[in-house]
Amino acid sequence: MTPVVQMRGVTKVYRSGSGSRTVEVRALAGVDLSIYPGEYVALMGPSGSGKSTLMHIIGLLDTPTEGEYWLGGEPVRGLSEAQLARIRNQRVGFVFQAFFLLPRLTALHNVALPLVYRGLPLAERLKRAKAALEAVGLGDRLDHLPSELSGGQKQRVAIARALVQEPDLLLADEPTGNLDSRSSDEILGLFDALHRQGKTIVMVTHEPDVGARAQRIVRLRDGRVADGGMV
Amino acid sequence: MNPLENFRMAFESLWGNKLRSFLALLGIVIGVFAVTAMISLGQMATAGITQDLEAIAGRSIFVQPNFNEGQDFSTAPIREEDILALQTLPASVIPQLFTSAQYEARPGTRRSIQLQGTPGDLPRLDPTNKLARGRYFSQAEARGGLAVAVLSDRAARDLFPGREAVGQVARLFYPNGARLELTVVGVLQPPGGLFGGLGAAATVYVPNELIWNTSPTARKGQYDFVVLSLKKGADARQVTRQVQRIFEGRYGKGKYQIASTESFQDTLRSITLILQALLGAIAGLSLLVGGIGIMNIMLVSVTERTREIGLRKALGATSSQIRQQFLIEAVVLTLVGGLLGVVLAAGLLLLITATVPFFKVFILNPATVLLALAVSALVGLFFGVWPAARAAALDPIEALRYE
Ligand SMILES: Nc1ncnc2c1ncn2[C@@H]1O[C@H](COP(=O)(O)OP(=O)(O)OP(=O)(O)O)[C@@H](O)[C@H]1O
Ligand SMILES: [Mg+2]
Repeated sequence: MTPVVQMRGVTKVYRSGSGSRTVEVRALAGVDLSIYPGEYVALMGPSGSGKSTLMHIIGLLDTPTEGEYWLGGEPVRGLSEAQLARIRNQRVGFVFQAFFLLPRLTALHNVALPLVYRGLPLAERLKRAKAALEAVGLGDRLDHLPSELSGGQKQRVAIARALVQEPDLLLADEPTGNLDSRSSDEILGLFDALHRQGKTIVMVTHEPDVGARAQRIVRLRDGRVADGGMV
Repeated sequence: MNPLENFRMAFESLWGNKLRSFLALLGIVIGVFAVTAMISLGQMATAGITQDLEAIAGRSIFVQPNFNEGQDFSTAPIREEDILALQTLPASVIPQLFTSAQYEARPGTRRSIQLQGTPGDLPRLDPTNKLARGRYFSQAEARGGLAVAVLSDRAARDLFPGREAVGQVARLFYPNGARLELTVVGVLQPPGGLFGGLGAAATVYVPNELIWNTSPTARKGQYDFVVLSLKKGADARQVTRQVQRIFEGRYGKGKYQIASTESFQDTLRSITLILQALLGAIAGLSLLVGGIGIMNIMLVSVTERTREIGLRKALGATSSQIRQQFLIEAVVLTLVGGLLGVVLAAGLLLLITATVPFFKVFILNPATVLLALAVSALVGLFFGVWPAARAAALDPIEALRYE
């Protein structure tokens, strides 16, 4: 079976400053990792260990400084900015800790947003967005603005926005970080359900009991996979 | 993604920020308003001047001896045979004589008045002369040199204050004292419009023949001045050239002055064009200022919407789609501003045509409107480029981290 994510020696070096005062930060220092279709993987590790950086590289928001990365069997190296954007749009769904909903758009239009970049007609976009919102249990909140929704509801809208893309890979960076425990349970329940439906999920988290719900835990330490990379 | 989608998005985001969008496009509104109003007012002024000029002079060509050549008046007169040659052209030929006379305003006080010799039936030959009362002397009366006169409105009021002039006898004197008693048969209408004042002289119109017979200076068969009142459809420039050829062929270059209302109009038009260009350029400066305002607002908007930009990129927008989005926002902003400016200008022009008598016709050329809108769109495009490039260059990770 082709892994959805396949990494060999992925390194990410951030440089800041200039000249002799250049500071290099090795956010990732040779990551080997494979993730297979249908897996639910928790990405854990201390703060600053490179979890978000790895997540961004997996989701093609960033590119490795060194090393090789295959997404769905295709090498990522050498793709243009526009090609990366297209793959992001078609194969990767993001869920962020801070939701990132556009405040002026209703839940329905927020969810329909990624489909704008597929050139789908408006009616079709709204139809799919409605279905996605219904799938996360917000069929009765279509016309609400983000400011009219609770934290848990906002995150469900954000998940619907990722689902509407029908991605190969669902990436969530501490999706319960801004939520109280009741809403967290709701959201985690939703991810469990998506996992049961066969979605591939990678979730960054600090909390052991959140990680415990995943199928596999990948532990990062100082930019390296300490455990669970399963290559 | 199709461009219409971009326009929809642009409207949505501008609508979501109504107050700011309005303030941002205010500069463009004022700029386009100023440019449009300037151009159209210039056109309206030209039209007004042209119309007034036509009302007093029609479409005419004027020929008179050239005084600048240092010759005596009488050495280069216009002769009967010249008139016959001119009569082959598509115009009514009106040979005239000018001289001055005096009248007794009160016993003992003499005043000057202009005495003008014309053929009979002048209003038919040159429709810019309109009768107010009575009639014009006929061609037969003119040929016979009868002592009949038609008065300009001013002359009627000067010679017969408070009385009806038609039917009266006007008593005039030549400078040498010779008397002239004329039966007044008609009075002309005063000329109207901007140039009304120019034509408001006190003039007594009499047959050419009469002046030849009575004036101590005039010589039979010689005229001072010829007006060719062009027939409908005649080409003024072409006829002017033909008149020139006739006089140059007979007398050589430079002896006669030949002018046409068309050439006055050309001069007027070029003057208003220069004025228009100057005022338009000044108004254009306000467009520049408006454009800088747009750029400022767009830059603020890009900074404010850093997260939105990051999110859109994460969801699959390419840099060029983001650039397009912001460029189109800028263009939509300036286009809406331009449209408002044109509407305001149209309002002002309507108001001016309704209230200022000189501006008789409302002119707002489709070309002017198109130009105004095209310029506003270009201003948006030009001043939107930098903000849009900044938006497009944002790194999505940085943008999503941005607080
Ligand atoms: N743009 C950047 N420039 C410089 N250094 C960076 C940049 N982004 C991340 N880093 C550094 O890379 C390292 C890994 O950062 P990353 O955000 O991946 O950690 P994390 O595991 O997600 O931490 P947290 O749990 O606090 O979110 C950190 O030391 C961070 O300071
Ligand atoms: Mg992080």
